[in-house]
Amino acid sequence: MGRTQAKTMSSMSSPLGVKSLLVFTVLMLAWLAGFLSRLFAVIRFESIIHEFDPWFNYRATAHMVKNGFYNFLNWFDERAWYPLGRIVGGTVYPGLMVTSGSIHYILNLLNIPVHIRDICVFLAPIFSGLTAIATYLLTKEIWSAGAGLFAACFIAVVPGYISRSVAGSYDNEGIAIFALMFTYFLWVKSVKTGSLFWSSMASLSYFYMVSAWGGYVYIINLIPLHVFALLLMGRFSHRLYTAYTTFYILGLICSMQIPFVGFQPIRTSEHMAAAGVFALLNAVAVLKYLQSVMTRAEFRHFFLVAAGTAAGAVFLAVVGLTWMGIVAPWSGRFYSLWDTGYAKIHIPIIASVSEHQPTTWFSFFFDLHILVATFPVGLWYCIKNINDERVFIVLFAVSAVYFAGVMVRLMLTLTPVVCVLGGIAFSRLFEVYLKEEEQSRPQSGDSSDDDEDGEKNNKYDKAGKLRKMKHEQQSSNDGLGVNIRSMVIVAVLMILMMFSVHCTWVTSNAYSSPSIVLASYSQDGRQILDDFREAYYWLAQNTDTDARVMSWWDYGYQIAGMANRTTLVDNNTWNNSHIALVGKAMSSNETAAYDIMTALDVDYVLVIFGGVIGYSGDDINKFLWMVRIAEGEHPKDIKESDYFTDRGEFRVDAQGSSTLLNCLMYKLSYYRFGELKLDFRTPHGFDRTRNTVIGNKDFKLTYLEEAYTTEHWLVRVYRVKKPDEFNRPRIPVSQRKVKRRNVYLTKKTSKRRRGSIKNRPVVVKGHRPKTKLT
Amino acid sequence: MLDVIYSIPFFVLELPRLKLKKPSWVAMPAPMVVFAFILLSYFLVTGGIIYDVIVEPPSVGSTTDEHGHSRPVAFMAYRVNGQYIMEGLASSFMFALGGIGFIVLDQTHSPSTPKLNRILLIIIGFACIIIAAIACYAFMKIKLPLPDELKSFLVFSAFQ
Repeated sequence: MGRTQAKTMSSMSSPLGVKSLLVFTVLMLAWLAGFLSRLFAVIRFESIIHEFDPWFNYRATAHMVKNGFYNFLNWFDERAWYPLGRIVGGTVYPGLMVTSGSIHYILNLLNIPVHIRDICVFLAPIFSGLTAIATYLLTKEIWSAGAGLFAACFIAVVPGYISRSVAGSYDNEGIAIFALMFTYFLWVKSVKTGSLFWSSMASLSYFYMVSAWGGYVYIINLIPLHVFALLLMGRFSHRLYTAYTTFYILGLICSMQIPFVGFQPIRTSEHMAAAGVFALLNAVAVLKYLQSVMTRAEFRHFFLVAAGTAAGAVFLAVVGLTWMGIVAPWSGRFYSLWDTGYAKIHIPIIASVSEHQPTTWFSFFFDLHILVATFPVGLWYCIKNINDERVFIVLFAVSAVYFAGVMVRLMLTLTPVVCVLGGIAFSRLFEVYLKEEEQSRPQSGDSSDDDEDGEKNNKYDKAGKLRKMKHEQQSSNDGLGVNIRSMVIVAVLMILMMFSVHCTWVTSNAYSSPSIVLASYSQDGRQILDDFREAYYWLAQNTDTDARVMSWWDYGYQIAGMANRTTLVDNNTWNNSHIALVGKAMSSNETAAYDIMTALDVDYVLVIFGGVIGYSGDDINKFLWMVRIAEGEHPKDIKESDYFTDRGEFRVDAQGSSTLLNCLMYKLSYYRFGELKLDFRTPHGFDRTRNTVIGNKDFKLTYLEEAYTTEHWLVRVYRVKKPDEFNRPRIPVSQRKVKRRNVYLTKKTSKRRRGSIKNRPVVVKGHRPKTKLT
Repeated sequence: MLDVIYSIPFFVLELPRLKLKKPSWVAMPAPMVVFAFILLSYFLVTGGIIYDVIVEPPSVGSTTDEHGHSRPVAFMAYRVNGQYIMEGLASSFMFALGGIGFIVLDQTHSPSTPKLNRILLIIIGFACIIIAAIACYAFMKIKLPLPDELKSFLVFSAFQ
């Protein structure tokens, strides 16, 4: 709770030096706290890359560091998506790799040898501190420095952000949230000042964001929305015009420099709002110019008509271009944000990812805790004292809440704005209850308002006026009792303490698991299950370097990153039909699957099986998604209903449907499992994840053979037999159609080891050898 | 010159007596109206209304006790990624209550309220916050899986 006290002191009237020192200290502490609380995974396990996507990012970064940036941009990865391959340089947001690569480069220049893996592991925690500073700056622009410090401390430890930025979770989001907040700060700054400098900086920061994360689309839609809202509210100003036109043009050109983005900003619907608002803003600017020429009454009608026409024309132009096919329509991923049922019906591959599920109330509370209640409070203050930049934060808040409701994953974009608004709410509360007796009211809080007043802009008067009224109120207020006040303060401090306890607890228990290395807790202490790395290491050591490994797409990046083997599908789910083919192989019976596997040149099949240790994220639990995705592409061969019982249940015990009990995935998961007795209380073949005895216990594999099973059976690797290795039934010689002739049986015994030539002329001394005369 | 050309049609046509006016109901909404809308939508979204629309869970769950009677269950226990409709609304009501408590606490320094009212307001606001906090905490306890299962639940359970 040192931070709250420090904050309250910082907003007291103190000399500038002390104040900035306090700000500096608090931000440093926030950085430190954020960094340290993200280290649970490193301390408990080791310095390792987590989960799935980070493995690709790590692999790409290592490739870039080894081969240089231009080779990275031209990298064609033939080890992924066999036989298609992947153009990595053109299908990746390179910001993350470039960031950690340049850190590595600088450290090496300074003769500090660090392995690139360590930079990758610690990048997200370091950037969380930068995010805290960016949040401080944004909140300071929007409300006050005190609120900014609160917001910085909140964002440093709030679980909603930690979930994506623990040490080892080397993903785009880790740096993108910093870029997001910093871009928003620069944007607000440029709207406030109207200076070219700030808006150019905003577009540069936007460029960084574009290079880092696909979520940049959120920025390029939110900022135009802000401009549009300001226009609707009649808050057009030359500052706004300068800021937006500069930002849009520079940002557009910059964003097109990223190979993956390319011409999308002028060709897809996601970006058209920005272009439309750009046109609209220019139209309004022209009108404003005409206003200075025309009389007032003339202008009012003219304005309404012209603005309406302009908006309509822009809209029609966009619709027309889309219709003609010049502008691509909304892509499925974005479309699913609006029509929430869309993904469930049309794109199972999106719906199958757990982080794309809609959010329940629990996630909101779990990730935000007390901030979920203070969020509307901050919003209330902002709406009550509205001005240009608060319009922005209100729009940010409303849109982020909606998106967070649609997808659990987008909780990440909600978290920063929740922290900003929570910071404002707590800062106001402390101002009310700590500072009331002081007569230093005019200097308090809304320093941003003071700045604006200095700029003699008429449209800012609303907030200023309100505040002035408050002055009078404050002076006439004889204040509350000291007791009540201190009670409220203590209680709020208690709540904040609960918040930080909750954050640490959640971070330590829920978000600090590498998911590569699992840990189980029992009476005799902690047990580490290192099966994934065991299997990948086996693959790396015991298979050909160009062996093709088939697995479900979740494990593609890990196989490529750790085992360095060719995969068929991976987490970059760009080719749905290829994934559906793998899903079809997994859900067909062995014979049909073998055809697919031969067609795809598969050498090994890897499945994850959690039945022995009770790991719920295994392939049998994901199996229905494989079926659904396969059904989407091959509706004739695969039907989801075949895998359910008559009563519509998905079960693996004896009552399960026979299609399920004979499909490849079932067989590979449960091969030899029927012989296994886990403990004395359960029968043979008892699956701990599903809590049942499996239905099909005794079966043999024809086309595959077990190659390796890890210690806890978590990963099972099978080798696909070549066509000549099948255990084909033996046909008696008499029934064979193709008879073998001229069987040469060697007459060599162990004694006659020398080679002999058939029909060799025997040479006897003194006799002429028999020769045929021709 | 142009004026003459422009006036040609009006020898034939008669100017309609048209007065374009902005309709009276199009006005900038008051800030508090906007806030009320936002709070309402916030209430719905944090209650998982989108989840309810997509997944269509029952409003209240039910379970069978040892006598074979079915009893209603308010909370989907031990499930982080699932909820019943009523449970979501109840907890988001608590969120909103907490928020309102904070707002009431801020209202206490308006000059027109007498001292007694002010203290009452503080008590009300305070009670709102405390009740909301305790209720949310209790709800969370119900939902939270056992500690060692928590990780795999959070990461994977939505696949099922």
